[in-house]
Amino acid sequence: MTAPRRLRKELGDLQGNALKAFRDIKADDDNLLRWTGLIVPDNPPYNKGAFRIEINFPAEYPFKPPKINFKTRIYHPNIDEKGQVCLPIISTENWKPATRTDQVVQALVDLINEPEPEHPLRAELAEEFLKDRKKFVKNAEDYTKKHSEKRPAD
Amino acid sequence: MNGGGGREDDQHLPGVSSASGSAAGAVGGRATPEMKRSAVRSLIKRYFHQLQSGCGNANCSNANCASSGKVAPMTPNELAARALQLLSQDAQLCEAETSSPQDVDMLSPNDSSSSSSGSSTSTITSASTTTTTSRQSQSTPAAVVVPVSSPYLAQSVPQLDIAGAEHSSGDSEPCTPTLAPVHSLDANSLIALYEECRAADSYDRICHAIGVVFSSVDRLGKSFIRSAEPAASSSLQELLANSSGALNKEQLRTLEGEHDKDEDSTQQVDEQSESAANATASAEVEEEDDDVYSSQSSDTLVDLPGLRRVQRLLFGCQIRAITEKLTSSVIQLSDWVIYMRTDWERVIHCLVICFDLATNTKNSVVDMDYLDRVLPKLCHAASAMPVPAQARLARIWAAHCSDQLHSLIAACQQQITLQVLLDEESMRENESIISVTKVLKIVFYANILASELERPSCRVPLEDRTEAATASGSAVVEDDLFAYNSLLEPHMPKFAEDQFEKELQVSSIDCRKPLIPLEEFYNEALSENIQMHHDYLSYKTLAMESEIGSGHANYFSFMLYAFILTPSTKVDALYYDSRMRMYSERYSSLHSILNNMGQVGQEDTPRPDLKLTVRRDQLINDALIGLEMVAMSNPKDLKKQLVVEFVGEQGIDEGGVSKEFFQLIVEEIFNPAFGMFIHQEETNNMWFNATPFENGAQFTLIGIIIGLAIYNNVTLAVNFPMVVYRKLIGYRGTFADLSDWSPALYKNLKSMLDYQGQDMEEVFEQTFKISYSDVFGDVVEHELVPNGQDVLVGQHNKELFVNLYSDFLLNTNIEQQFNAFRKGFEMVTDESPLKLLFRPEEIEMLVCGSREFDFVELENSTVYEGGYTEKSQYIQDFWSIVHAMPSEDKHKLLEFTTGSARVPVGGLKCLRLLITRHGPDSDRLPTSHTCFNVLLLPEYSSREKLEERLMKAINYSKGFGML
Repeated sequence: MTAPRRLRKELGDLQGNALKAFRDIKADDDNLLRWTGLIVPDNPPYNKGAFRIEINFPAEYPFKPPKINFKTRIYHPNIDEKGQVCLPIISTENWKPATRTDQVVQALVDLINEPEPEHPLRAELAEEFLKDRKKFVKNAEDYTKKHSEKRPAD
Repeated sequence: MNGGGGREDDQHLPGVSSASGSAAGAVGGRATPEMKRSAVRSLIKRYFHQLQSGCGNANCSNANCASSGKVAPMTPNELAARALQLLSQDAQLCEAETSSPQDVDMLSPNDSSSSSSGSSTSTITSASTTTTTSRQSQSTPAAVVVPVSSPYLAQSVPQLDIAGAEHSSGDSEPCTPTLAPVHSLDANSLIALYEECRAADSYDRICHAIGVVFSSVDRLGKSFIRSAEPAASSSLQELLANSSGALNKEQLRTLEGEHDKDEDSTQQVDEQSESAANATASAEVEEEDDDVYSSQSSDTLVDLPGLRRVQRLLFGCQIRAITEKLTSSVIQLSDWVIYMRTDWERVIHCLVICFDLATNTKNSVVDMDYLDRVLPKLCHAASAMPVPAQARLARIWAAHCSDQLHSLIAACQQQITLQVLLDEESMRENESIISVTKVLKIVFYANILASELERPSCRVPLEDRTEAATASGSAVVEDDLFAYNSLLEPHMPKFAEDQFEKELQVSSIDCRKPLIPLEEFYNEALSENIQMHHDYLSYKTLAMESEIGSGHANYFSFMLYAFILTPSTKVDALYYDSRMRMYSERYSSLHSILNNMGQVGQEDTPRPDLKLTVRRDQLINDALIGLEMVAMSNPKDLKKQLVVEFVGEQGIDEGGVSKEFFQLIVEEIFNPAFGMFIHQEETNNMWFNATPFENGAQFTLIGIIIGLAIYNNVTLAVNFPMVVYRKLIGYRGTFADLSDWSPALYKNLKSMLDYQGQDMEEVFEQTFKISYSDVFGDVVEHELVPNGQDVLVGQHNKELFVNLYSDFLLNTNIEQQFNAFRKGFEMVTDESPLKLLFRPEEIEMLVCGSREFDFVELENSTVYEGGYTEKSQYIQDFWSIVHAMPSEDKHKLLEFTTGSARVPVGGLKCLRLLITRHGPDSDRLPTSHTCFNVLLLPEYSSREKLEERLMKAINYSKGFGML
């Protein structure tokens, strides 16, 4: 199974960079267009755990944007219960073929750390986030403890 | 000669007197009219002599000199006429070696002893008389002005005037417009003249000047010449160097015995522009001789900005006499053009000026009057030009007057509409409608040229297609059940080939975003009143004439000007064409049935229609086998009317059954599970499966089905991207087609194209190997060039990458499938005028129907029977229920009553729904006859019940005639 040259390069770069917030990056053995990795956020309430995501690149990459899915459940206004995330940088309207996956990942990590309740996928969480931050943080922390993966040791 | 001269004197007396009057003292009467005339006469004699005997130089290259051997033998009459013509064109005169003009007396030609001096004189007179009479016989409004009876002479005289004028101005007062010769005008001189006239409160002089210049192709052809910009002037100089015009002028002076060299600067400028015009004119004359036309050029010498200043002034001043004069002069000029049919380059110059004056209007009454009277004449003149000259006009308009095209279209449309309304009966023969239509065609192409064009053209060269077809044909030959040697080139009768497209080397298809939407070329009034069957007959007559090789096409068919017809009118044309073909097929088979009557054992008597018997559960297979048999044994049968029978079902196919057949078969074939087409989520379109499980025959079948649907006037629920229709009529898919094939892909490739950095290789790291996912979701890779995976995309090859990528996706990757598909389509439509009439967007509308649902339109066009009327409370209730339905239910209602959820071409009003009372209140559901678009509606007891029954009917019924 081969993959576009650029993807292989990007994968190598990401693995080599050793980002603190995005680790354990792998491509599927039988499909280099499907990557997984672990998001390790810094900000509360998500800094109590880590979140597995999947990045799916279309065959036409980079002429069509990749899609990101959360495999780990997360209590977040911008990520729905199916794990779908609404990330402007990879929306059809905003995507640029020159955009690199590390930029995408960075945007994702930022979004996790700083939710954007103005563009929610889960309106009820957005409302809670805006109206009762304390309650939101508590719920999110509980949820994170319950569902998320263990953070890497270092 | 005398007669002509006399009138011409009358015509020009004011001009002459103004010049010679003030000149008289200074030049001592050297340029009296008498002298000028004699000068002209001797010039004519020289031309005559040169044509007749030559200059004596064995190496002479002048095409108008007998010594060059290029002059065809002519009678003295013709010689005289030609000499006049040459004079008017300022043609080259050889340096006379043998004889001075005085030696040759044209009035007694030395070689033809038979012609006496008397007869020769009458020769010239009769030449000019012919001119006059035939112009009158053209039923021109000759009453307006006495025509410039002998244009040749008239033109020559002012040229002589200039000599006088020059002198006077040089000697006495500074040059004023009063003294400006009226042999040409430019913006400044005309405006100055106007100002003077205004100061004097007498507009006679300007009217006169306008009258003289605007009525003559020759003079107007020298007017409003663009002043010398640096770039232009060098080319002018170049032209001057080669021109004979300047020389002629010199000769004229010699003849007049004037050797004065004092010239003022005004004159110099004047002279330069004049000679430039002469130079172009003579250059063109030469070209014309070689039968080559400079239609490739979009240059014009017309000073458009100046012209527009003049336009604003003349029409803004509200002086009736001026516009009146202008109008009558332009009409006169147009008539001259129609009669003379020569010197097209100069005519084009004039037309550019006159059309620009006509369209640059501000809707005031004066403007409109000019427009209304002048436009038909101008159109007549323009349409009389040969195609290359028309093409040249289109190029000029596209390059210089694109801001005027809109008003030109509006003006033409208005003219056509007006004429149609005035003359509904014989509008198809109405000369002015025809000539305006022809001009509209020039505008149509100017519009295309002025738009962004796709280059190189996406038209597939014939040989490529043949190659591709044979290549793929050989690859699938075992699978190919349809052993049909289709005409690979879409059938297009020779006579219908668009000479314009050929000449301009453009096609409306290459233009994705026309400057002016092509819909604006539709003329509703014309389309509504055209009575397409008559026009179709003209078309057929033209076709027959071209087949038997008679070149004289006296017939005019709007089908060759399809841009002006609305799609629904064009559908009529197609309908007549297909009916005609069906009838001729049917007739020939009936004929053979009759011939075989009484002969027992005739098994293979051809049927008068195309009958398909299919089982519902084996629809595709049965249809495939049935059509395959037809295609193998006699592909022509595909053009018979389709009659479908479902096994085990009653029902005579009056159209309804085949409608359902089409619908079912399309549903099945386009079902992604069937594997022939894939559904593209992004656009909701269907596209060819590049790795199908089916052989080519199925694709041929769907091609036939689509062709049959058009042929049988049935719309189908298919969702192809536009590129499919473009490919069907012989174009290649290109990058621009990706925009509706996959907007995301298009946008991102575009963004790559727009990237300007030199680090493109590092940023994109894109190679010439691309990948796509197949129908199973597996990734398939493809190298766009050999070893593409090692070639990076950079600034130097990004376009190539994008073009190859698009070509792969839209053409190469599905070539086999598409060729099979197109073959099927052409088996049905190869002889129809489909491609002549319709653009790809319009074909899509033919196949799928319009996507607009206007139920108010449906209500307005519905008729009632059995006691209902549009005013019945019950019917009003019905419609308010319908209008309140969600659109999904509206679609169902449409499908329930018409058998198709698509809107026919022309909108819902074309359905002509019939609602008929189906008995009094009962529990029966409403029913329908889909083939006639009839809804049978019992008169239920209440509105509530009506709604409930109606909803039930449309939601639970499927199949023909079922309850």
